Amino acid sequence: MVLADLGRKLNAALSSLNRAPVVDEKVLDALLKEVCAALLESDVNVKLVAQLRQKVKTKVKAALEGGADKGKEQNRRNVVQKAIFDELVGLVDPGVEPYKPKKGHPNVIMAVGLQGNGKTTTCTKLAVYYQKRGFKSAIVCADTFRAGAFDQTRQSATKAKVAYFGSYTETDPVTIAAQGVAKFKKERFDVIIVDTSGRHKQESELFREMVQIGEAVQPDMTVMVLDASIGQAAEAQARAFKESANFGAIIVTKMDGHAKGGGAISAVAATQTPIIFLGVGEHLHDLDKFSPQPFISKLLGLGDVQGLVEH
Amino acid sequence: LGSIFSRLTGSKVLTEEDLKPVLEAMKQHLMKKNVAKEIADKVCDDVGQSLVGKKVGGFQSTTSAVRQALSNSITRILTPKTSTDLLLSIRTKLSTPVAASQKRLPYSITFVGVNGVGKSTNLSKVCFWLIQNGFRVLIAACDTFRSGAVEQLRVHVRNLGMLGVDGATNSKGRVELYERGYGKDAAGIAREAIAYGRDNDFDVVLIDTAGRMQDNEPLMRALAKLVATNNPDKIIFVGEALVGNEAVDQLTKFDRALRDFSAASGGQERGIDGMLVTKWDTVDDKVGAALSMTYVTGQPIIFVGCGQTYTDLRQLRVANVVQAILSD
Ligand SMILES: Nc1nc2c(ncn2[C@@H]2O[C@H](COP(=O)(O)OP(=O)(O)OP(=O)(O)O)[C@@H](O)[C@H]2O)c(=O)[nH]1
Ligand SMILES: Nc1nc2c(ncn2[C@@H]2O[C@H](COP(=O)(O)OP(=O)(O)OP(=O)(O)O)[C@@H](O)[C@H]2O)c(=O)[nH]1
Ligand SMILES: [Mg+2]
Ligand SMILES: [Mg+2]
Repeated sequence: MVLADLGRKLNAALSSLNRAPVVDEKVLDALLKEVCAALLESDVNVKLVAQLRQKVKTKVKAALEGGADKGKEQNRRNVVQKAIFDELVGLVDPGVEPYKPKKGHPNVIMAVGLQGNGKTTTCTKLAVYYQKRGFKSAIVCADTFRAGAFDQTRQSATKAKVAYFGSYTETDPVTIAAQGVAKFKKERFDVIIVDTSGRHKQESELFREMVQIGEAVQPDMTVMVLDASIGQAAEAQARAFKESANFGAIIVTKMDGHAKGGGAISAVAATQTPIIFLGVGEHLHDLDKFSPQPFISKLLGLGDVQGLVEH
Repeated sequence: LGSIFSRLTGSKVLTEEDLKPVLEAMKQHLMKKNVAKEIADKVCDDVGQSLVGKKVGGFQSTTSAVRQALSNSITRILTPKTSTDLLLSIRTKLSTPVAASQKRLPYSITFVGVNGVGKSTNLSKVCFWLIQNGFRVLIAACDTFRSGAVEQLRVHVRNLGMLGVDGATNSKGRVELYERGYGKDAAGIAREAIAYGRDNDFDVVLIDTAGRMQDNEPLMRALAKLVATNNPDKIIFVGEALVGNEAVDQLTKFDRALRDFSAASGGQERGIDGMLVTKWDTVDDKVGAALSMTYVTGQPIIFVGCGQTYTDLRQLRVANVVQAILSD
C-alpha cells in the first residue's frame, strides 16, 4: 500500500539526506519534492500533499530555530526525518478506535460505498472472518437495484457456508433490511451484515435510501468499502458518505493489484475514520486485518527510518 | 486557472525560467482534476515546449497564450485518431459479401477491464443502443467466475427483451443470452457463442468477461487467449472515471498482455481498440481519467457511461471535457 511503498521511497530519499553534507532549505526542498511526488503518484489528495509539504517545512523551521539541532548536522537530519514521518503517520492513523463486535450481542454491520467497489464480496469475506472466530454470522442482501445482486449474495454465501437473507420480489431495500435483521436477531446470530446497493453523492435519492436503511437496522458499525484505485474523487465522495451514513470504519479493497490506495488514505484523513481491513483478492479468505499502529511500527522497522520513535 | 497565469506579466519572449512556476501550478491543477501524475508531467512539458521562445505582449496575451496552449494540447490528446462510428463499422462488416458456401459471421465486441468498473452494465447499455439501431444482439456470458455474473446478464437480457423498440411492444428475438454456467473456459464459450450467433443470424455478439487485476498473470493470459482465439472485431477496455494514477498501469498492461499473446500465438497482433469510460456521473468536473486513458493508448473513448440505466450511454464531447479540465 501507499505507505509501505513510500517506506522504501522515503528510505531512498532519506539516505540521500544522509549523504548531503549540510541540511539546508535546498536539501529539505529536494527531499520533500521526492516524498510528495511519491504521494501524488499513489493518488493521495493533491491538497493534502500540499498541506503536508507546508507543515513539514514549518515544523522543521520552528524546531531548528528553537535550537533542536544543537548545531549538529545529524540532529538536523533527525528533525527533518521525524517531521516527515509524523505527517505520514498522521495520514493513515486518525487515532480513533473502530467498533469491535461483542459476543452474545447481535452486532449489526452495514456496508456502504460507491458502485462496484467490492461491498458484496467484502460482506461475505467479513462473514467468513467472524464466523471463523466463533461469531454466528449472516448476510442480508438489501440491494434490490443491481441486476443479479441477490444471486451474487446467494451464491457466495452458499459457497462460504454462511446464512443469508434476501428477496427476488420485494423491491424496497428498507423493508428487506429490516426483515432480515429482525429474523437473524431472533435466531440469535452474533454478526449480521447488511449489504447495500452502490451509490454516489451526486444522486441524493440514493443517499436518502441509505439513510433510511440505516434508520431501519440501527447498525453498530457502518463500513465504507473503497476501491484502492480511486483517484481525486475519493475525498468528496468519502465526506458525503460520512455526512449521511456516519460510517465508523473503512475497508480498502483490491489491494492485491498494483494500486497504492492513496485515494483511500485521503478518505481516512478527510473523515478521521480508521481502515480496519484490506481486501486482497476475489476469494473468500482474501481479507487482511489492518490496524494503523502495527502497520506503522512495521514501517518504522524499515532501515533508516528506525530510531525515529525515540525522539 | 486564471490565477496561475497572473504571475506572467509584461511583454517579452517567454523563457523556460518564466514558465517554470506557471507549469508547476498547471501540473497541480491537472492532478486535482484527476489526471495521472505521469500524464500531467508530460502534458505540461509539451505545453512548455510549445511556448518557450514565443513572443507575448502584456499580461492578457500571455494568459491567453498559455491557456490556449494547454487547451490545444488536451484537445489533441482527446480527439479520436480512428473512427468511433461503431454503427458504421458493424454495417460495413455485415454488408461485406461472403462466399456462397459460407455464413456471415456476426460482428463481435469484447469488453475487458479490472474488477467492478462496469463492464457488464455498460455492455447491456451498448446492447440496448444496438437493438434500437435495428440489430439482433447475442450476449455471451464469459464471466464464469464471479458469483451472480450469469444471472446479472440474464436479468439484463430479460429487461431488454421487454423494452419496446421501433413501435414494437417488446424486443423479443432481438436479444438473447448465450451462457454455459460457471467454472468453464471463457475462450471456449465465446467461440461457441460466435458460432451460435452465426447459425442463428445474430448481427452482433457482445462478449462479457470477468474483471481482473492487470498484473494477475494467469488471468491476463486467459483473457489474451480468449481474444486470440476469437479475434473479435472490437476490443473495448472499460475503465472508470473514478480511477486515479492506476489508469496508466491498467491500460498499459491490458494492452501489452493482449498484444504479446496474440503476437506469440501467430495470429494478428491485437490490442485495445477503444475505451468506454464509466461512472462519469460520480466525478463532477474531475474528468482527468479520460485524458490519462487516451494519452496512454492513443485510442479513442468510444462511449461514456453516465448512470445506471440503459440510456445512460453517451458519446464523448471533447470540447466539454476540455472545458471541465480547464475550469477552476
Ligand atoms: N482483485 C480483487 N477483486 C475484488 C476485491 N474485492 C472485490 N473484488 C471484485 O470487484 C468486483 C466488484 O465487487 P462487488 O462485491 O460486486 O462490488 P459491490 O460494491 O458490491 O458492487 P455494487 O453492488 O454494484 O455497487 C467483483 O469482480 C469482485 O470479485 C479484492 O479485494 N480484490
Ligand atoms: N453511477 C454509475 N454506476 C455505474 C455506471 N456503470 C456501471 N455502474 C455500476 O457499477 C457497478 C458495477 O457494475 P458491473 O457492470 O457489475 O461491473 P463489472 O465491471 O462487470 O464487474 P465485474 O464483472 O465484477 O468485474 C454496478 O452497481 C453498476 O450499476 C455508470 O456509468 N455510473
Ligand atoms: Mg453489491
Ligand atoms: Mg461483470
